[in-house]
Amino acid sequence: MRRTALVLLLALLAAAVLAALRPGSSYAAQDREQSWAPASRTHPAGTDALGRDRLTRVAVAALLGLAGAASAAAGATGIAAGVGVLAAFGPKILAGPLLLVCDSFLALPWLFLLMMVRAGLPLQTAPLVSAAATFLILALLGWPACARAVHAGASAMRRADWMIQGRAAGLRATQLMGRHLLPRMLPLLIPQLLISVPVFLIAEANLGTLGLGVAEPLPSWGSMLLELDNSALLASSHWVYLPVALLIAFLVLLELCVTEA
Amino acid sequence: MRSLGGALLVLGRVALLVALVAMGTLALVRFAPGYFADAREMDAQHAEGARAALAARRASEGSVAALAGSVAAGWLHGELGVSRQYDVPVWELIRPRLRVTFSLLTRALGFAWLAAAALAVPLSGLGGRRGAAAVTLGSAMLLSVPIGALATLFLLTGMGGPVLAVGLVLAARDFKFLYSLLRREWRTPHLLYARAQGVGSVRLVLGYLLPALAPQLLALLLMSLVAALSLAVPAEVIFDVPGLGQLAWSAAINRDAPVLLAVSLLMAAAVGLMGACSRPAIRSSSGSAADLEAA
Repeated sequence: MRRTALVLLLALLAAAVLAALRPGSSYAAQDREQSWAPASRTHPAGTDALGRDRLTRVAVAALLGLAGAASAAAGATGIAAGVGVLAAFGPKILAGPLLLVCDSFLALPWLFLLMMVRAGLPLQTAPLVSAAATFLILALLGWPACARAVHAGASAMRRADWMIQGRAAGLRATQLMGRHLLPRMLPLLIPQLLISVPVFLIAEANLGTLGLGVAEPLPSWGSMLLELDNSALLASSHWVYLPVALLIAFLVLLELCVTEA
Repeated sequence: MRSLGGALLVLGRVALLVALVAMGTLALVRFAPGYFADAREMDAQHAEGARAALAARRASEGSVAALAGSVAAGWLHGELGVSRQYDVPVWELIRPRLRVTFSLLTRALGFAWLAAAALAVPLSGLGGRRGAAAVTLGSAMLLSVPIGALATLFLLTGMGGPVLAVGLVLAARDFKFLYSLLRREWRTPHLLYARAQGVGSVRLVLGYLLPALAPQLLALLLMSLVAALSLAVPAEVIFDVPGLGQLAWSAAINRDAPVLLAVSLLMAAAVGLMGACSRPAIRSSSGSAADLEAA
């Protein structure tokens, strides 16, 4: 099951790359004469309100979303690993405040926290800056739950025989962490990383539907889903459902890969 | 005496968390671009004295510490401040909206739990792997649709309102956890033995399954409530429901510090108290936390 999901996911990604790199296609090129155009040979999934090719935009949104979510997940897992290990192995006086900081992040509902922080940053910025800010926020706010799990795992390892033996043998902290602790933490960190990717992907889409995500003309899942608020278009073209259908496909396949892993 | 001390400790921890959230929110709002912009200062219709007073107030609230001080002084006198956006006391904005959001959350949670339990109890107990796989796939698909997109679709197609949008996402989420918990419980030796003895399913669920899983279910309910609070924000914005979520969104967009602070403190206190309530429930059953994590 996992292998099939992985193959399908890779096939979707390859199709997205091919669609984004089609000769003559551009996610930002406008053709005002062709707004809301139906599917045709030049625009296989039709165009949006500004006459931009929907297929190219969806493909770029998919690639950008996945790359951004994966980077944010890696960042969040890295921060969580640092904080969790520091709380478990660092001076005892540090553990309490670090865990309290984790809890204060977790004290607000996730989407509310994201919305509050994203709205506090400049909204009228260059598209790439807004994309970087959105995914950076996801990384900076998404680590506390993972850090709690890492802290629990690392605390258990603190009392493990190999750790006590290593300390007794006079290994330095860097040797213990780098050579012995990190390899043993990977089975905990990798699932946390994989779980975070779909969570961040959908969080970006949610921010986008509230108008707080990636700025135009750069396409993102959130901005693509904003097309759904045109009732006339919903009735006239089924292609408007392409972004949401692809998002569901990506997330279900990602979930299948992650669950099985 | 020990339980009183424990309760005070929990309350102290919640208060500390709320204070940290307050400082974070204040710092965020204070440094947000546009926080110092006040349209009234540029409005020639206001008297020069009024504009000077506005400028003086802005200068006095320049640092985060000064802002926190003035907010804390107001809160100690029972005043939550005045909304910068609507120019009315914050409590007057929050009070009617509390009822609206509470009603939305209660109905959505009720719908979600009924739907999740109606599917998870029979599917986990009576086998039916295909049925379970179909519902699991359906719930995964529902969870893959951003709540904003789902709410927009419901609004335009007239398929349902905010309760259904929030309830469906919650039901999908709760089904995943419930199904996993129940499936494991149905396979415990005493329940297998009871089933082999011909004890009825209803009696098994009411007499054995629910009491055994009560702590996990309580913890799950509280987690579900936190998720509902999160989902209520986009649902209220899109359906134009005058609730706390919509108010918070508008306050965040318009840098309305007093309102944003009051709403985030309310949310933090609610989540902190729910967490404090669920902890003993989880601890009372060994392995429950691990069960929920695993689910």
